[in-house]
Amino acid sequence: MSRGNLFLAGLLWIVIAILVIYPLSFLVIESFKISGSDNFGISNYIEFFKDAYYLKTFANTLALSAAVLITTTIFGVPLAYILARYRQRGKTILTALTLLPIVLPAFAGVFAFIIFFGKYGTLNLVLMEIGLIEKPVNFIYGFHGLVFIQSLHMLPFIVLSLSAGFTNIDPSFEEAAEVEGASGFWRFITVSLPLCAPTYLAGGVIVFLWPFTDWLTPLILGQVDFLPSVAYINIAYHFTDLHRKYMGIVAVVVSSVVCIFLFLLARRWVEKRKYTGLSKGTTSEGRIIEPGPVMKIWAYIYMIFIAVLVLLIPIVLGLSSFSRRWVFEPLPTYWTLDNYRVILTETPLLIKNSFLFSGVALAFGVIFGLPAAYIIVRTKVPGKNALDFIITLMLAFPGMAVGVSYLLAFWENIPLATHWIIMPLALFARRLPYFLRMAHSSYLQLDISLEEASEVSGAGKIRTFMSISLPLLLKGVLVGVVMFFIMAFQEISTAIFLYRGGWETMPIGIYLNWHRGMEFGIAAAMAFLMIVITFVLLLIISRVSGNVLRAAWGSDNK
Amino acid sequence: MAFIEIKGLFKTFDKVTAINRIDLEIKKGELLTLLGPSGCGKTTTLRCIAGLEKPEDGDIVIDGQSMLAEGFVPPAKRGIGMVFQNYAVWPHMKVFTNIVYGLKLQKLPKREIQESAARVLELVGLSGLENRYPSQLSGGQQQRVALARALVRNPKVLLLDEPLSNLDAKLREELRFEIKDLVRRMNITSVYVTHDQGEAMVISDRIAVMDSGNVVQIGNARDIYEKPANRFVADFIGAMNFMAGEIVEKVPDKPNAYVRTEFADKLLCRMSEHSKATVKDEIYASIRPEDVEVTADRPQADENCFKGTISNMAYLGNLLFFFVKLKNSMIRVQASHQVSFEEGQEVYLHLNPEKSMILS
Repeated sequence: MSRGNLFLAGLLWIVIAILVIYPLSFLVIESFKISGSDNFGISNYIEFFKDAYYLKTFANTLALSAAVLITTTIFGVPLAYILARYRQRGKTILTALTLLPIVLPAFAGVFAFIIFFGKYGTLNLVLMEIGLIEKPVNFIYGFHGLVFIQSLHMLPFIVLSLSAGFTNIDPSFEEAAEVEGASGFWRFITVSLPLCAPTYLAGGVIVFLWPFTDWLTPLILGQVDFLPSVAYINIAYHFTDLHRKYMGIVAVVVSSVVCIFLFLLARRWVEKRKYTGLSKGTTSEGRIIEPGPVMKIWAYIYMIFIAVLVLLIPIVLGLSSFSRRWVFEPLPTYWTLDNYRVILTETPLLIKNSFLFSGVALAFGVIFGLPAAYIIVRTKVPGKNALDFIITLMLAFPGMAVGVSYLLAFWENIPLATHWIIMPLALFARRLPYFLRMAHSSYLQLDISLEEASEVSGAGKIRTFMSISLPLLLKGVLVGVVMFFIMAFQEISTAIFLYRGGWETMPIGIYLNWHRGMEFGIAAAMAFLMIVITFVLLLIISRVSGNVLRAAWGSDNK
Repeated sequence: MAFIEIKGLFKTFDKVTAINRIDLEIKKGELLTLLGPSGCGKTTTLRCIAGLEKPEDGDIVIDGQSMLAEGFVPPAKRGIGMVFQNYAVWPHMKVFTNIVYGLKLQKLPKREIQESAARVLELVGLSGLENRYPSQLSGGQQQRVALARALVRNPKVLLLDEPLSNLDAKLREELRFEIKDLVRRMNITSVYVTHDQGEAMVISDRIAVMDSGNVVQIGNARDIYEKPANRFVADFIGAMNFMAGEIVEKVPDKPNAYVRTEFADKLLCRMSEHSKATVKDEIYASIRPEDVEVTADRPQADENCFKGTISNMAYLGNLLFFFVKLKNSMIRVQASHQVSFEEGQEVYLHLNPEKSMILS
């Protein structure tokens, strides 16, 4: 093992220690603080688990998670099956549409659905107009609305992981069942679905954890009795009341512990029963079915139904951004460019900040991610698995945990929080795994002998990396870069705790404009602009990687 | 009467012909092997018999019952058992569950299921491993599970799709005989697909050699090796010297003809019974390397003797391989390791007319 690798690993560990371990342990320590004294103790936790209200929010969050997982699964299974198996015209574009929410900011959906499905939203007004209903139907305010909005947002995770599963099943597993006499449905239940279980779970755990992270959707819908929302309110609104602040931190820690625990549980289970590698050789393309005409039509209707729901988001936001006072009317009547004038001339700072912070975070991500992937894949440096483990764990941490811990940790001892650099640093820490996993998987595909050939020809390690490894990794890395950027670009749950006047990003701007009330058009215009930017970025990667689908997910789940 | 009858079977994939109207008859209790290189249509033919592919034309009759002509019969209703190339042993089910999957679907009484499972497990030598998961078994054991699953429902026909190709060489040779023995004992009609000529020759009662969607020759191992129908079969099974030439004269009343090749004006050869070649046709005079006689001194025979030089000698323990250069032709020779030749040595070749075939 070379000294250079050890040195590199050491540097990476220092970064991890400062940017991950230190702030997160600070968060835990803070949660044990007892207000009004200098003592530490578990009294905050005792209160949390005794207080009927906190327990209720905890139970609510679990119920929401379960409901979202069940809903996404019910809607995701047929969608994933169609996607993986059916030979159908126009499938690519419909697929891309149904998977779009993965790159849309979560709050964009909430705003759009309030306008469309709200009490006096378009749908209710139209239904009343044609006389189908007399009073407005409550489509979204309440638990069911939360389930609906969060499910639509998380659907792509289930669909992508399941369809990867369906595609990767060796066709002969199902053919064997067919020969043995199992009907199509029975075959699906006893063979196809169980074989998908590991990949399904990998996506399912991400879905299940989302309600523990998303504080904004419940807040906008007026549903605050969920852990992340309560934590946010306690910490952000009641910072003067130390006790409430500590209780908020406890809520964040409890959420984090639940998330990490479930994440690790799922990971262990998945690793224990990886079915791939059991069947060798033969075709890897998966089974393609030519559906009958009736099934084909149903498949179309189903895909179009989901696609329309998704498309409502940019359409409604777009309409709303070009109009003013769109209330009590099915469609806007007063058209204007004012909203855009405001965001482009009066607050271009937000756009600048968004690009600056995401860009700097991305630079950190690449500078850190490439060496980290190299250390993990190519070397035998001791502790590299621990490094990989900690970075992967960041996938499970709620964004709020990162935001709050940075605020606490970089205040007195290391006063980074007074400089704007804290924003990209936090974004970097939060989205670390996204880039790393992608660099990691493209590294795995890079045959080591290509690098060895270069070294045998007399090139040093760095030279080899620059002239051989990097160009070959570039495609995978580029997809990772764009995904990282998109994720950082729409990040709000971390940034909301850290921003100061002048550091607002577009998502924060959207939130603030909504929060001040009545500035809906401006919020919508910003959200629409973000969607456009995201879409352009996606187009770029789809050019690079040749496939919109893969662009939305990355090369990992091919 | 044939137990399985394939009539004019025709199948294309994306306009590429996979099976080109083949006819095939398989007798009851027989093990027939479909042998050929990849892409020859052998697996597609097997999958058509199984009902996993729907051919565009033709019919398959199993035990007097049509599988296609009177409506498509699904795989489950064909009375077949199948062993897949990659075993297709379901990784999420235990060995026992794998084996009884089909029996359970038939809603048989529990005791009967238990007994059938025990019987086939005994048969393939896996008794005691019922509660293992496939990942806890070796490749060979997984293959036996697949075999047991295929046999447990007492199928009329057993279909095997390259069942040994994922095993290592030693195990493969062992299992060849085991499968042959098992199939014989159960007297079950079987169709076996492989690209391995050695495997085909060991295991089969008859071999159907396929090329580009056609059956080019059917016969037992000896027929196919000694009387190949054409150049393709001769080349695919065993090694063969092909000497391009032209028929110059047929010997009257005998299945023999004279051929002009690059190194000989008149080479006496035997006409293959499959060949319809006549004078002036361009053909290949062919002889197996082990049939070429090489001597240091001029042999007694008066015909087909040539003088050449030895080159590229290889000692393989039990055998000696070398080439003899005749003008611009290289003749491959396989001799006993006991003869002692050296590279560069001048020797005499005798191409026995009885062993020299005319192939086209």
